[in-house]
Amino acid sequence: MNHLSKLPRFLLLGILAVLAGLPVYWMATTALSDESQLYMNRQVPWPQIGNLGSLLSAIAAVPAGRWMVNSLIIATGTTVVSLLLGSLAGYALSRFRFQGRGFIGFLLFMTQVVPEALILVPLYAMFITLGLLNDLAGLALANAAFSLPVATFIIKGAVDTIPHEIEESALIDNCPRFGILTMIVLPLIAPSLAAAAVIAFFAGWNEYLFASTFLMDRGLWPASVGLASFIGQYETPLSVVMGTALLFSLPAITFFLIIQRRIVAGLTSGAVKG
Amino acid sequence: MPELILDNLSKSFGDTTVIPSLSATIPDGEFLVLLGPSGCGKSTLLRMIAGLSDISSGELHFDGIRANGWSPKQRGVAFVFQSYALYPHMTVRGNISFPLIMDAFRPWHHLPGVNSFMRRRLMASPAISQRTEAIANQLELGALLERRPAGLSGGQRQRVALARALVRNPSLYLLDEPLSNLDAKLRMQMRAEISSLHHKVGKTFVYVTHDQVEAMTMATRIIILDRGVVQQIGAPDEIYAAPANTFVARFIGSPAMNLIPVTVNEGRLTVPPALTFFYEGPLPAAGPQILGIRPEKLQLLSEGNGPLPAQVAVVESLGAETVIGCRLLSGATEEHLLEHDLIFVRMPGVQRIPIGTRCGLGFAPGDVTWFDAATGQRRAS
Repeated sequence: MNHLSKLPRFLLLGILAVLAGLPVYWMATTALSDESQLYMNRQVPWPQIGNLGSLLSAIAAVPAGRWMVNSLIIATGTTVVSLLLGSLAGYALSRFRFQGRGFIGFLLFMTQVVPEALILVPLYAMFITLGLLNDLAGLALANAAFSLPVATFIIKGAVDTIPHEIEESALIDNCPRFGILTMIVLPLIAPSLAAAAVIAFFAGWNEYLFASTFLMDRGLWPASVGLASFIGQYETPLSVVMGTALLFSLPAITFFLIIQRRIVAGLTSGAVKG
Repeated sequence: MPELILDNLSKSFGDTTVIPSLSATIPDGEFLVLLGPSGCGKSTLLRMIAGLSDISSGELHFDGIRANGWSPKQRGVAFVFQSYALYPHMTVRGNISFPLIMDAFRPWHHLPGVNSFMRRRLMASPAISQRTEAIANQLELGALLERRPAGLSGGQRQRVALARALVRNPSLYLLDEPLSNLDAKLRMQMRAEISSLHHKVGKTFVYVTHDQVEAMTMATRIIILDRGVVQQIGAPDEIYAAPANTFVARFIGSPAMNLIPVTVNEGRLTVPPALTFFYEGPLPAAGPQILGIRPEKLQLLSEGNGPLPAQVAVVESLGAETVIGCRLLSGATEEHLLEHDLIFVRMPGVQRIPIGTRCGLGFAPGDVTWFDAATGQRRAS
């Protein structure tokens, strides 16, 4: 009886899992297909392992490893900048009452309303002046400008939930404000920090527009720009595109699997009465 | 230990004044209880002493030195919060040793990464670990040192909060309703533990509560507050015996002092509208007054005896004593109940008195406290 009542739930979850996994499966199948079959619309709906060798040699012909490392540098830089500044900003917005607090919140929100393409040209001019063109650190900064407000809001929301008494208790215990942030507040909002990290990391990993504009050197391209470079005027090697895309998604999936364990609730339980 | 002087302290939040002006001196080693109803400003006062809230005006002196702008660290106080305020991500050991670790920390130790390394290192150092364990054992927390607050009961969390306050050996302990979240039995046990702790450490305790039993049993002196204004300062027995006004008379004692509005006229007292009786003791000036008498000073007599005819309305048997609530009758001829508060009589042991029984209430004139009907202030007898 109990198992029967669970059956619809399992069925629904099964269908959702298949739907979520289908694009990845299709990507792998396309990557391992014969190129000529793809162009004749005769793709075999299962992976043809026999084509693995030719796929690997095709991928080896492009600097996929270098592109992936570049992506990793950009995504990590975006995440570090977003979390560092987001923690300070989110804590200040949550805990301090100062003039212009609401306006700063509004400005942060506005960064999410303005499309990236709109600020591309002014940002390009600024990057020339600052010497940040063709620089992975510069790109990480540009990406962080967009993911930082999101991280700030997430962290502010999390700090809001921490009882003031815990911080006051630390003040009484002779802990300075910065120590309260690093030793008390940040460990307590670890799940929210992990969520902000995921958002910032994927924003940096997937970003294409800034990267294709600010990075001229082929050796500095991240995976997103590298992948797009396969698209030619007359021909696009679909199996190689899919194979490389599959490869590029592996570090991102790994990062998510590592950090998702941190996204757990209930860390503050037992802090105060109850 | 510093003598603590509160000199015309006031606190306002915008246009709202919580404490208009408060002055008091708290000498060394005292167990002072700030007692009052919710919202009377007692916690605000405690936070001002701790340095957690700014002082709007007035002066706070620690051992004769003005301390208004001092940080909590400079004041060297320990604070026990109503909600315990334990660090949930740290073990009991981490919580208790935290103040000692902070005292040993250098500014750069607070950097992320460095802080956790230094905290572990200092926590394991012999001086800190021995002190932590000694305090934990003193409060029977020795077996719980590696647990986190989420795995502790309310009483255990409360003890961890106390241990964290004790570990630094401060000169002033501030406790903000620390027992209000505990059940009645545990509260009684912790009350005794805090009292014995005060005797043991011999330091000054300032304790906020709205529970008059806590105040009466623990305090060496009580400050009773109402809407931020001091109503009375004194030892518990002094306050009980001679309340300064009707607010204190109602607040201290369970059941509270009976307050009967009367009109004094030529040696006779009239309880409005028509209950009149002769009073043998010294009387205040003619006109409206309030006659106050503690429940244990009233005698429950048989019908027709005593100056106050009454009818039993409530009987609360507590085992060791019985509290009987009576309604006054308007007189021997017109026997209807008077419309005002119940008059409580406390009698020893179990008393089996049916509700509705007619009786008389008597008292000795020496046991009466007189209050001015207009101001509520106690009249000099």
